[in-house]
Amino acid sequence: MSGTRDLNRGLERDGARVRNLVLAGVGGHGVLALSRVIAEGALAAGFDVRKSEIHGMSQRGGSVLSEVRYGSSVNSPLIPDGAADLLISLELLEALRHLHRLKTDGILLVNEQRITPAPAGSGPVLYPEDVLDRILDPFPEARILPAHDMATELGESRAANMVMLGAFAACTEDIPIHGWEEVIESAFRSDLVPVNLAAFRAGLSLASAW
Amino acid sequence: MANRILLSGNEAIAEGALEAGAHFAAAYPGTPSTEILETLSRRGGIRAEWAPNEKVAYETAYGASLGGARALVAMKHVVVNVAADPLFSSSYAGVNGGLVLVSADDPAMHSSQNEQDNRQLARAAKIPVIEPSDSQEAKDFTRIAFEISERFDTPVMLRVTTRICHSMSPVAVTRGTTWPMARIPDYSRNFHKHVLLPANARPRHDFVESRMVELEEYAASNRDLNRIEWGDRTVGVVTGGVAYQYLREVLPGASVLKLGMPWPLPRALVRELAAGVDELYVVEELDPFIETEVRALGVQVLGKEIFPLTGELNPDVVARGFELSGNGTATEPGDVRQKNAAPAAIPPRPPVLCAGCGHRGVFFTLSKMGLIVTGDIGCYTLGALHPLESMDACLCMGASIGMAHGMEAALRAAGDERRVVGVIGDSTFMHSGITGLINTVYNGGSSTVLVLDNGTTAMTGHQDHPGTGVTATGERGQQVDIEAVCRAVGVRRVRDVDPYDIAALEAALNEELDTPEPSVIICRAACRLVDRTPIAPSVRLEIECPGCGTCFELGCPAIDDRDGVAVIDAAACCGCGLCVQVCPFCGLRIEGHEPAGVP
Ligand SMILES: Cc1ncc(C[n+]2csc(CCOP(=O)(O)OP(=O)(O)O)c2C)c(N)n1
Repeated sequence: MSGTRDLNRGLERDGARVRNLVLAGVGGHGVLALSRVIAEGALAAGFDVRKSEIHGMSQRGGSVLSEVRYGSSVNSPLIPDGAADLLISLELLEALRHLHRLKTDGILLVNEQRITPAPAGSGPVLYPEDVLDRILDPFPEARILPAHDMATELGESRAANMVMLGAFAACTEDIPIHGWEEVIESAFRSDLVPVNLAAFRAGLSLASAW
Repeated sequence: MANRILLSGNEAIAEGALEAGAHFAAAYPGTPSTEILETLSRRGGIRAEWAPNEKVAYETAYGASLGGARALVAMKHVVVNVAADPLFSSSYAGVNGGLVLVSADDPAMHSSQNEQDNRQLARAAKIPVIEPSDSQEAKDFTRIAFEISERFDTPVMLRVTTRICHSMSPVAVTRGTTWPMARIPDYSRNFHKHVLLPANARPRHDFVESRMVELEEYAASNRDLNRIEWGDRTVGVVTGGVAYQYLREVLPGASVLKLGMPWPLPRALVRELAAGVDELYVVEELDPFIETEVRALGVQVLGKEIFPLTGELNPDVVARGFELSGNGTATEPGDVRQKNAAPAAIPPRPPVLCAGCGHRGVFFTLSKMGLIVTGDIGCYTLGALHPLESMDACLCMGASIGMAHGMEAALRAAGDERRVVGVIGDSTFMHSGITGLINTVYNGGSSTVLVLDNGTTAMTGHQDHPGTGVTATGERGQQVDIEAVCRAVGVRRVRDVDPYDIAALEAALNEELDTPEPSVIICRAACRLVDRTPIAPSVRLEIECPGCGTCFELGCPAIDDRDGVAVIDAAACCGCGLCVQVCPFCGLRIEGHEPAGVP
């Protein structure tokens, strides 16, 4: 794995460093489930954890944002702008919306799906044509993944969030792979566990090949 | 054995109430407080009830306290206004079992109509305020709040904010234990304390004032709640709640008075901190509540000159405040270049009424008819937004019916013939619509009210209410019938209209608006997030869409506007058929249905 996408620096288990993750997407697409799994994974690995989210409108197609922080000791549930080590977005436009949260050398993982927002004013919403350029220009190392397509192929498009988790898992040794798998096994209804595990592993092997 | 698990602040409060042996909890849903009662009803071991509104919730909890139970009542900030009448007087009457009112404030108004700071209400009601700064404290302080309530014979406000309610952090809990119900003295009549006749209330007011003095002594001596964390003596900060966490992030070395019980303010601790540091600051969200009290002590302090009065704080905002003060010691984390790269020209992504939502056809019709619409609070408030844009006013829950009556009276007095209709959801109707309707009937009004009955309290996440007949714990109770209620209060013209039938709704509205007596139209359609079974097969485009754009005016997320041409998302469409009705070219069809084609 190339050094720039490697999160395994700076977080000493007993040091003061805190890992800052920003998770973005569209209501109903699993941002909150993803942040829950990450927070549980970090707790199980022995870290102090804070997770915060605004979810009032999460089921009605609005923007959804969650923040997870872990380390030996964490105070604020909110991450300062420009301080996120990692931004995972389940949608391209939402990645753009929260780009300024990421450190200059932060890791960016984006599901390549485009979802047109509902119009807020008169006229149709023009999905920015140049969304990819605007992401890749400041973050040329950004990884754009076909997580939605991969999950759909596995039979459950809603498992795209676990594909993204798999990709994240490949970027860090903070939390061991079996730790993630245990959390997935307890986080989902039993009939949904196999497909979510499969999605996680698909994301993991994709990212391990980078 | 204690385990560390991740809990939201709301879940932790519920856990704390159970550990404290609370036996009764009541609430009406409201973001960000809703999950407290939801957790309690799921966990069991306590009687948990949805009340029709917050005044009733508070009164039942107060009754439970008198009856000998520890009782918790939870609500969002704006609705403590609804419960303020019993709250203020119960402060005089005092409690028997501990009584804790959770006020969930919403700085930044993530999902609220105002940003009021309920520490102010607690001060006015002369009750103590407890304020946790993370989930562990939310659990521990809930328990302490019950103890304070009993020891000082007072209701206690546990004040939390959205960032506490909806953030998760590790909490030590002991599971598999059932906590014994708290032992409270049996109820016995106490006329002088509990019957607030003026003659009884006067001495109770004296009691309340002396209680405040004792509470302040307690606040200064309880180190679990209020303590000075000495550090660098150049900067001292008074803070509490989630602001404490932000402060610790940007000034880890400062001397801090951490207030877990900000009211009554432990003035002795403030003086002690002030005397030990060069410069004193107050970091608090919203109003200068602590700051004003500190200034009243004659202590020099910096607060709202450098920290905002509105919105939420966060580490960036707190660090910027210290920068403004010229105190360069604050470490502002994060990349400066990135911080300044604020995103430009990104289309917003507002929430929308779901595909197939029963509210959509109603607002489309109201907009088409050009009516004046007094609205209310719920998912249907989205009908005020583009492209439906058919709401004139929205104030607070239940206001639609009173506003319609008043507006109609004023318009008619001015000879203005424009027609007014009130629109209210089923849960909101139960909450506070009924009294408005009684008023219209009694005062000879003639307004027409639309009750949008989607069989749930949708906006706050689908809680049951009296109209559904299912209780907080999922049992089937007695259903309160909306139509029967309307008739019982004297509305003679009550009818059901299918909200998916635009022509029928328009005809019904015309008829009722032209009849000079009060009327109620009930539009029933199950919430699409609760009942996901398709209404009909998804809509197909039969012809090449000529791009007239009429169907876009429905604002349906299943209809995509591709360069002016309609494209139906078959996976999202549930066949409600509204677009079929509005398409002037009859190009939209549902399998097996004849096109209606509203010209
Ligand atoms: C007095 C008050 N209590 C609670 C709330 C929180 N709240 C906002 S909308 C809503 C639900 C309304 O439900 P309903 O009227 O059935 O409409 P729906 O969302 O189902 O369309 C609630 C409880 C509030 N804003 N004000």
